[in-house]
Amino acid sequence: MKEKRAAPLAVMLLVMIYLLIPLAVSIVYSLFRKWTGVLPEGFRLDNYIALFTDGEFLASVGRSIAMCIVPIAATIVIVLLALFVTTIYFPKLEKYVQIICMIPYTIQGVILSVSILSLYVGSPTFLSNRLLMLMGAYCVVILPYIYQGIRNGMRAVHMPTLIEAAEMLGASKLYAFFRVVVPNILSAIIISSLLAVGIIFGDYVLIRNLAGTSAPNMQIYLYQTMKHDSTMASAVFVIIMLTTFIITLLVLLLQNKDTKRRQQQVKE
Amino acid sequence: MIKKASNKYLYLLALVPFLVVALLYEILPLATVIYKSFLPDTGGAFTLENYQTIASKLLYRKAIMNSLKISLTSAFVGIVIAFFGARAAHERPGKMNRAFTAVLNMVSNFAGIPLAFAYMILLGNTGLMVNIGKELGISALANYELYTMNGMSLIYIYFQIPLSTLLLIPAFDGVHKQWKEACTLLGGTPGVFWRKIAIPVLMPSILATFSVLFANALAAYATIYALMMDNVALLPVQIAGCFTGEVRIRAGLGGALSVVMMVLMLLMILLTNAISRRFQKGGARR
Amino acid sequence: MGYIHFENIHKDFGQNKVLKGITMDVERGHLVTLLGPSGCGKSTLLRCLAGLEEVTSGTVSLDGKDITHVNPRDRGIGMVFQQYSLFPNMSVAQNVAFGLNMKKVPKDTISRKVAEILKIVGLEDKAEQYPNQLSGGQQQRVALARAIVTEPKVLLLDEPLSAIDAKLRRNLQVEIRRIQQDFGMTTIFVTHDQDEAMVMSDVIHLFHNGLIEQSGTPTEMYTQPVSKFAASFIGNYNILSAADFQKASGEAVDCADVAIRPEIVRINLEVADESKRFHMEGEVVNSLSHGNLMRYTILCGGVEINADIMFEKSHLLEIGQKVRLSIRKTNVILLNS
Repeated sequence: MKEKRAAPLAVMLLVMIYLLIPLAVSIVYSLFRKWTGVLPEGFRLDNYIALFTDGEFLASVGRSIAMCIVPIAATIVIVLLALFVTTIYFPKLEKYVQIICMIPYTIQGVILSVSILSLYVGSPTFLSNRLLMLMGAYCVVILPYIYQGIRNGMRAVHMPTLIEAAEMLGASKLYAFFRVVVPNILSAIIISSLLAVGIIFGDYVLIRNLAGTSAPNMQIYLYQTMKHDSTMASAVFVIIMLTTFIITLLVLLLQNKDTKRRQQQVKE
Repeated sequence: MIKKASNKYLYLLALVPFLVVALLYEILPLATVIYKSFLPDTGGAFTLENYQTIASKLLYRKAIMNSLKISLTSAFVGIVIAFFGARAAHERPGKMNRAFTAVLNMVSNFAGIPLAFAYMILLGNTGLMVNIGKELGISALANYELYTMNGMSLIYIYFQIPLSTLLLIPAFDGVHKQWKEACTLLGGTPGVFWRKIAIPVLMPSILATFSVLFANALAAYATIYALMMDNVALLPVQIAGCFTGEVRIRAGLGGALSVVMMVLMLLMILLTNAISRRFQKGGARR
Repeated sequence: MGYIHFENIHKDFGQNKVLKGITMDVERGHLVTLLGPSGCGKSTLLRCLAGLEEVTSGTVSLDGKDITHVNPRDRGIGMVFQQYSLFPNMSVAQNVAFGLNMKKVPKDTISRKVAEILKIVGLEDKAEQYPNQLSGGQQQRVALARAIVTEPKVLLLDEPLSAIDAKLRRNLQVEIRRIQQDFGMTTIFVTHDQDEAMVMSDVIHLFHNGLIEQSGTPTEMYTQPVSKFAASFIGNYNILSAADFQKASGEAVDCADVAIRPEIVRINLEVADESKRFHMEGEVVNSLSHGNLMRYTILCGGVEINADIMFEKSHLLEIGQKVRLSIRKTNVILLNS
């Protein structure tokens, strides 16, 4: 039974071309002086040189990175603690933790940012600190991804058996969780953190609504640049996309390694 | 050495950080927005005034209609393309397949400001494609108007494709090759196989993906804002405008608009779940 | 009172009563098997001894001490699980050393003991490998080494071989038994495989619906089942109601059911008369080859009887052939429950 094998290839190729055109065009655009006809003219790297000598741009890169670290680390810790307590001591509460973790999937950027803003903006306490609001919002936005990553990791390593085995060998539940289970789900934690990095890197809504222009990240920098200089902006664009791609590539690579390791199980 | 249940409750302390973050930045803000949507912005007691404003003012009615229209269209087109894309990937494993999923994964993060920027270069007023269209005399390209609802729908479709295809590819693993073989041996054509077996089996996944796409489009903000600023009648833009506008903050109205948006998402989830249950009755797996 | 003593153990999971009053003793140095179908409560009793489940009522004592409410890690019990219990991020040697580290044994003693035990289970060359580089059988050897290296008072084995394929399983059964006897390790073994129980145990406890149905040595269990359940679970007994038995043999028996092992049934082609035997006439309706055995199904007076005969090429029976069965009366087991 021979089928027409070309059709699926063509479909995949077409979709890929459609998806890659805007990227390819922007990259070429950033490398040439002029592109008003069919072909670009005047190859140059000026944009990139200018960018990497611009203190504000470098600062925005630094901010983007810094804004990832705190919320992701905090979210990992609070989710691990919550899952430790619920899975081992109070399995009945697990359902509620799950619901709380999944709600941010449906309330996306705009609603979350405006609701946090309107609640705390007039507050006389430390809660009105804009940066704190932003960090809190980031924690909530990445909550579903971190939660699912950790939860799936726990399932994949058969956590209950691991903990019981460690207990039978004289370890406490706390020791078993943090010294036996956590090291084994490290790759799952790293993968979900990278996904979270991708989300925070790509964020514009939350930072604009919550922090305004007081702490511009790479997205805001791009937005401001594209208002007055589109070739310069295209270079910023390329750098942003490059970072995002590297992150995605890392995720894919780690995921592949992880599944391969699990499938490697030697046959008798 | 004797273990009793009492010290078990000490461990509940470890839940506190999680609950504090969830309460401060998820539950309380949401609850407040909903609560404030029932308070007038001018001060006073419980009222439906904000909802009446939405129902009576043309701008907000248009925002809801536009948002619904563009979300439904882009979700529909997205799911159709995703269906054929995922089917192709399913039928053709190998190098091309790996490249395909790699590209999908990469562009799945391609959204927001960068996406708006790329389309500006490509199809904006002096965009590249527009220039090429003018030189080669292709009027569809030469006269493309990015800064309209129709013009922007291309961007919506763009960011729906990677998401929907990535969500559908795993679902195709549930369509076993043996079914197709069995169907052929029983005299069914490929068309019969897809109509009678594969699509019904896939339907729950297709519907679930559709509702994700719908929510995704409904909430999309950064891309649109980058192109149009506040000058467009779309729900998320109007919501943000109520809270961050230069004039005055209208938390009640913005809250009511947020509630409308959440209700729309919820309705779509309920609707797709209800339809999906009809397909699962026959024992088709998710 | 034995080395391990269970006193009237009850365990409920909500409405579901899994253990309904188990009283049982285990002698020091014995390998005792808890045998039964899944859901009979055998694993639950094991987990109650380990401390992984709290009993609903009753007491568990070990070496004269009540351990009913002691933490699992303080009970001095080693355990091997069905599967997936090795720590994947640790090498074989690190896995085995884990329990000794917990006991704060000096470093050099640990490395000596780990090397010794790995030699005993035949994995001295795998010390630096990781669990995912080992086969299922090798992983279970590591799990066994890890459990016994701390010299626990009792070793618990919870269906350790059920995820391993048949051929390797035989080897491991023999090996576990050898190591257990060398160490004189008091061991409780849970399985649903009656052959495995027969090969390995000093004593077998047969579980049924949360209660012990029968206890005894493998030979006792095999030759003297006390109930219909015991007879159906152990061996391949022909179990007939008294009425059916009368239909087939023409003789009345005073009991509820009759159990006949297939290998004591003789198939004769000629008429022979002997009053010490039951006789049945019938027709071969099915034959099945089990390698060195042929199992024939014979229809006698409307009742099917299985008979196992050593395979001999010149003496094969054909379907439809008329035969006479004879069964020594003393070998027939009369059941009353």
